[in-house]
Amino acid sequence: LRQISQRTISTASRRQLENRVPEKQKLFQEDNGLPVYLKGGAMDGLLYRVTMGLTVFGTGYVLYELMVASMPKKQK
Amino acid sequence: MAHQAHSYHMVDPSPWPIFGAAAALLTTSGLIMWFHYSSSMLLALGLLSMLLVMLQWWRDVIRESTFQGHHTPTVQKGLRYGMILFITSEAFFFLGFFWAFFHSSLVPTPELGGQWPPMGVKPLNPMEVPLLNTAILLASGVTVTWAHHSITEGNRKQAIHALTLTVLLGLYFTALQAMEYHEAPFSIADSVYGSTFFVATGFHGLHVIIGSSFLTVCLLRLIKFHFTSDHHFGFEAAAWYWHFVDVIWLFLYMTIYWWGS
Repeated sequence: LRQISQRTISTASRRQLENRVPEKQKLFQEDNGLPVYLKGGAMDGLLYRVTMGLTVFGTGYVLYELMVASMPKKQK
Repeated sequence: MAHQAHSYHMVDPSPWPIFGAAAALLTTSGLIMWFHYSSSMLLALGLLSMLLVMLQWWRDVIRESTFQGHHTPTVQKGLRYGMILFITSEAFFFLGFFWAFFHSSLVPTPELGGQWPPMGVKPLNPMEVPLLNTAILLASGVTVTWAHHSITEGNRKQAIHALTLTVLLGLYFTALQAMEYHEAPFSIADSVYGSTFFVATGFHGLHVIIGSSFLTVCLLRLIKFHFTSDHHFGFEAAAWYWHFVDVIWLFLYMTIYWWGS
């Protein structure tokens, strides 16, 4: 049974079980002046812009709804 | 290049605090729009932005610690104080709901029939699913401690097994509780009994979900080799939170489920 459970893993999936922390350490310690929230690559910038878009739009919308809720509702 | 002459972490400027504050604004305003104007868009926007901020902020903390090495023993000490203070504040949060329960159950009003449980309320049998849930959470406390010992002893395989078991037990608890909620013969609207029961157990359930998520993130980090045998504070914080959730359940079980039935 032990021989079956210790089957060889193919090279592609073996990379996923290896320690990739040293690579990450090199990437995030690179002297490129980038702040930590953008230092990981292009995806960081995209996520940042999406988050900013949602919160800025949302804040504006809250202020709009607040204005609407403060106005008297015209009855006919 | 300038180097610091102290062991503290001066973080890079970050947008997450202000975006987090905006997300809180959207979520609270969204709740109002949902309660009073039957519109759920703002609430959805708020919850989504809250999720995005949490993901990115905590991702950055992992980058600053595991990848950039900023978490010196001094920094770690501060984080320990922080987590302890946070859990203490949560304990006070639950204390309020226990106060409410005892206020109503020790002196039941005439409207309830002068008794507890109130007239017409059939409480859940504490010796059935609630007892199983107690056993599940106690067992998960054992498995998370096993995981911790495995980490400090450098036993990677056992640590992964023990932490996986802990997460599975947490999910099992949540599934059983969800089923109990669905099958309960009383609802939140059934007098102060329903209010105290569902608000107290409901907030506890939310904390179980939060704790399970925290442990799952730790499991992923454990698999990715982020923890060393003497530096794994993220895991310790998750384990402390999980023990806290377990203790709250024990109090809930003894008071609301058992004494209150």
